[in-house]
Amino acid sequence: MPDGQARRIRLSGHVQGVGYRPFVYRLARELGVRGWVRNVVGAVEIHAEADAATLAEFTRALVERAPAIARPQPVADRAADFAGHAAFAILASAADSEPDIHVPPDYFTCDDCLRELRDPADRRHGYPFINCTQCGPRYTLITALPYDRPNTSMAGFPLCPDCRAEYEDPASRRFHAEPVACPVCGPHLSYVDAERRIEGDDDALAATVAALRAGRIVAVKGVGGYHLMCDAASDAAVAELRRRKPRPAKPLAVMFPADQALLRASVRLDPEAAALLASPARPIVLLELADAARLSRHVAPGLAEVGCLLPYSPLHHLLLERFGGALVATSGNISGEPVLTDNAEAQARLAPIADAFLHHDRPIVRPADDPVFRPIAGRPRPLRLGRGVAPLELELAEPLAQPVLALGSHMKNAICLAWGRRAVLSPHIGELTAPRSLETLAKVAEDLQRLYRVQAERILLDRHPGYGYRHWVRGSGLPTSEIWHHRAHASALAWEHPEVAEWIVFAWDGVGLGEDANLWGGEAFVGAPGRWQRRAGLRPFRLPGGDKAGREPWRSAAALLWEAGQAAEFAPELLHQAWLRGLNSPASSAAGRLFDAAAALIGVCSQASFEGEGPMKLEALAAAAGAALPATPGLPLARDAAGVWRTDWSPLLAMLADVALAPATRALAFHRAMADALVAQAIRLREETGAGDVGLTGGVFQNRLLTELAVAGLAGTGFRVRLAERIPVNDAGVSFGQVIEHIALCRPTT
Amino acid sequence: MNEERILLAHGNGGRFMRELIGELFARHLGNPALDTDADAVHLPDLAGDILVTTDGFTVQPIEFPGGNLGSLAVHGVVNDLAVAGAQARYFTLSAIIEEGLEVALLDRLIASFAAAARENGVAVAAGDTKVVRHGEGGGLYLSVAGIGVREATTDLSMKRIAPGDVVLVSGPVGDHGVSVMLAREQFGLSGGLLSDSASVLPLARAAWDLPGLKFMRDPTRGGLATVCHEIAHATGCAVVLDQGAVPVRGEVVAVCEMLGYDPYFLACEGRVVAVATPAAAAEVLARWRALPAGAEAAVIGRIDAGAARLILETELGGRRVLEELEDDPLPRIC
Ligand SMILES: [Fe+3]
Ligand SMILES: [Mg+2]
Ligand SMILES: [Zn+2]
Ligand SMILES: [Zn+2]
Repeated sequence: MPDGQARRIRLSGHVQGVGYRPFVYRLARELGVRGWVRNVVGAVEIHAEADAATLAEFTRALVERAPAIARPQPVADRAADFAGHAAFAILASAADSEPDIHVPPDYFTCDDCLRELRDPADRRHGYPFINCTQCGPRYTLITALPYDRPNTSMAGFPLCPDCRAEYEDPASRRFHAEPVACPVCGPHLSYVDAERRIEGDDDALAATVAALRAGRIVAVKGVGGYHLMCDAASDAAVAELRRRKPRPAKPLAVMFPADQALLRASVRLDPEAAALLASPARPIVLLELADAARLSRHVAPGLAEVGCLLPYSPLHHLLLERFGGALVATSGNISGEPVLTDNAEAQARLAPIADAFLHHDRPIVRPADDPVFRPIAGRPRPLRLGRGVAPLELELAEPLAQPVLALGSHMKNAICLAWGRRAVLSPHIGELTAPRSLETLAKVAEDLQRLYRVQAERILLDRHPGYGYRHWVRGSGLPTSEIWHHRAHASALAWEHPEVAEWIVFAWDGVGLGEDANLWGGEAFVGAPGRWQRRAGLRPFRLPGGDKAGREPWRSAAALLWEAGQAAEFAPELLHQAWLRGLNSPASSAAGRLFDAAAALIGVCSQASFEGEGPMKLEALAAAAGAALPATPGLPLARDAAGVWRTDWSPLLAMLADVALAPATRALAFHRAMADALVAQAIRLREETGAGDVGLTGGVFQNRLLTELAVAGLAGTGFRVRLAERIPVNDAGVSFGQVIEHIALCRPTT
Repeated sequence: MNEERILLAHGNGGRFMRELIGELFARHLGNPALDTDADAVHLPDLAGDILVTTDGFTVQPIEFPGGNLGSLAVHGVVNDLAVAGAQARYFTLSAIIEEGLEVALLDRLIASFAAAARENGVAVAAGDTKVVRHGEGGGLYLSVAGIGVREATTDLSMKRIAPGDVVLVSGPVGDHGVSVMLAREQFGLSGGLLSDSASVLPLARAAWDLPGLKFMRDPTRGGLATVCHEIAHATGCAVVLDQGAVPVRGEVVAVCEMLGYDPYFLACEGRVVAVATPAAAAEVLARWRALPAGAEAAVIGRIDAGAARLILETELGGRRVLEELEDDPLPRIC
């Protein structure tokens, strides 16, 4: 009987669904460690027997040599009774009482699988659902934990003998690869158009490629939902997609062939951006167009950037390789709704848009759109969380007294489940105006609680009384806490920089309900989570037609002119009369609406076909101004009756309407004036509070030019500037911010 | 009575009041059932299933394009009984008059009330007047109770509504809300748009005998959307409206687009929303369209199984939840 010592080791983190147990098995055999490894709920437990030195090396290697997508965290390592095991074994999963559960995101196709995919001799050659323990879908196919095949949407695909042998072989890359499949036993493609239905992976793929080459629009089922795809180089195809969706102007994402040759010819790709594109999340990255001729001019009209992504599933690899060019890959949804996932529903609802469908029969349990990043101020910034990123698991500095479910905002909704010292942020759900968004919110809320085995005891929500989840909240019967919108924005950012004790945070966005019943969105706070004080803002103006202003920038332009006592010839007299009487004209201090107004006054966007179109076009225009240094109007800063510092935007009006200046010059001058105003406010607040750390958050800071101008101005006057890298600054980050603000508000005051 | 304006004295029980009631109210409203000297009256000729309803009327301005407070009060009560399957027969009328109101205006309003009552076969059986001090009332408030006899042969109740039923409306929505708002705010433009204030009795009567008719309501405050929310709550079903099918006048759409209002939430005063089986709906539609008030009637939606909410289907395949009205809706685009 062998002798030595024994240790019982437990590792948490991302250790399930990532091939961690086979790795432990191989490592143990390599080092001569005996014992066993098994999955317990949310963790891996190891019993290791060897001499002391070997055990130490083994323990170190468990973390240092872990598979690329595994992120093990040792949670326990204690001496155990020596049992004298003769070998090392993988035991069956054990049910466990103390869950520390991690739900893996969906992984991109690994190199080993890609090699097999392209190897004519391999039994999975050209098989669109090839995967292994190091790759393949996870979040979108898990129905329950522990992560075992019967608890996935692969439950309906019994393994063939060959796959079963791999699945059961500890030495195989596919040992307990839960979605493992092959052409004999796994899912398959089918192609459907008006005339025919084609079964079989190869034929369905060939028909799809032929349709795309012919300029058709094809709805393609992927990992987290459907894409609408068409030839990204074809003006006719892209214009037709825009006409049918209808989506006249919102930029469309483009998937480039994996060899990146076309990508590198089309956009400016620095090493950071290239690394981001190829990172495990395989996100959409907004990149500057270098050679506009490579893509249809309808892909991102009026903008200088295009959303690029690389193939991430075997199906996408096959499609792009066979097509041999770039494909528009926009979410297969109805505007504002979560991406469609169900074959029948997609077939019915996308029928007016798609000429053909490429379906597969692996069910998608819950939607996950592609994540979106934009490089700003030298770092990638998330604009949308989704497939490959979500669920985003975050650690809290302080524990929660009770589990909470934070519901975030009405627009760009994403929800957050938090308990103990953990928080999990959902992927992008959508705008809560659509019933499907509300249904998805309810499902994701229930799924997260079930998967993580946590029951929320309180709901956190925005103070706005009209957000779409209000009805659902009333039905839940749970107690609620309401969090102010812009405090949530500020607190989400504060979590990313725990070293800052005293903040100056600028929360600039569209509109959110503020603490004086006005619509805030151009606010500066001082303090920290739980004790934010609004100390500066923009001069308020009243928005004629309320929410209509969010889609019609000319209304914000009229509002500024009327507020400043000037005429707005372009606005109907009826609206002016209504505005004078205060009919449906709520007061706002939103920077987002100021950007809208500037876009309208310069003439780049007076009617927006999507939220944010005015500011995006304004930014693109300003970026084209080159190095020209326009005269920038100084904006007066003075205290209002309540003691709040207010920037008066009225000196901008004459400049914005000055046709002697080129539109691009005016757009740049506007950005500079806003950045200067921000810096001036920060200086005032530093004088008053001594705080030297400035944070920028809110959807307006998705604007790269503004953010970089503000960062430069702040750094030049001695501030430390803090930006977000993990949580979107737009409303997708509000739910997580609600959690942080709630924890701080619950903290006993001393 | 010789005064040009109403005085506090018109409400104090003396000669002025007697003259006001005799020379103005009774002159217009006189009928065999009305005895202004009695404390209470007996209602002759009532037999069968008796229904009663009451409503207060405070519309501003009291005269508006297409109607006035007087006729509106009659329509409001007649309509509430009509959609419940009953012919209104008797009213009681309580008038609260603000000191200073022009007597000529009051005369016009009561004459209008009397004419509308006559047209709908209703007699005022009892009345009361009060005068409040200047600044304490909106010119004239009317409170009306209506007593009617049920003539419908079908059971009109939200309880009978089931998934698969369809929703109809008898004409364009929002006319009243927009025309009154434009008149109230004195924008100086009505664009020829008139209130839809009217009796829906002929429309309702035309459908009273259809067994497949489930429910009717006249959408007043809160408009079409609020009636649909009531149906959703009561039935636990989704009400799905087809945006392209709901009749809305171009002028109403234009004003709503401009000012940021939703026409589905604006008051109507002469429309009927009905729910019926698909077969009965076709019959209701045919009968309504044969009537002048129903020329623009339309099938506008359906009842679906699923969460109790109101969903608007747009022409482009979008589906939008219309939230229940709370207060003035605040912007949500962030
Ligand atoms: Fe926001
Ligand atoms: Mg009524
Ligand atoms: Zn793989
Ligand atoms: Zn197989």
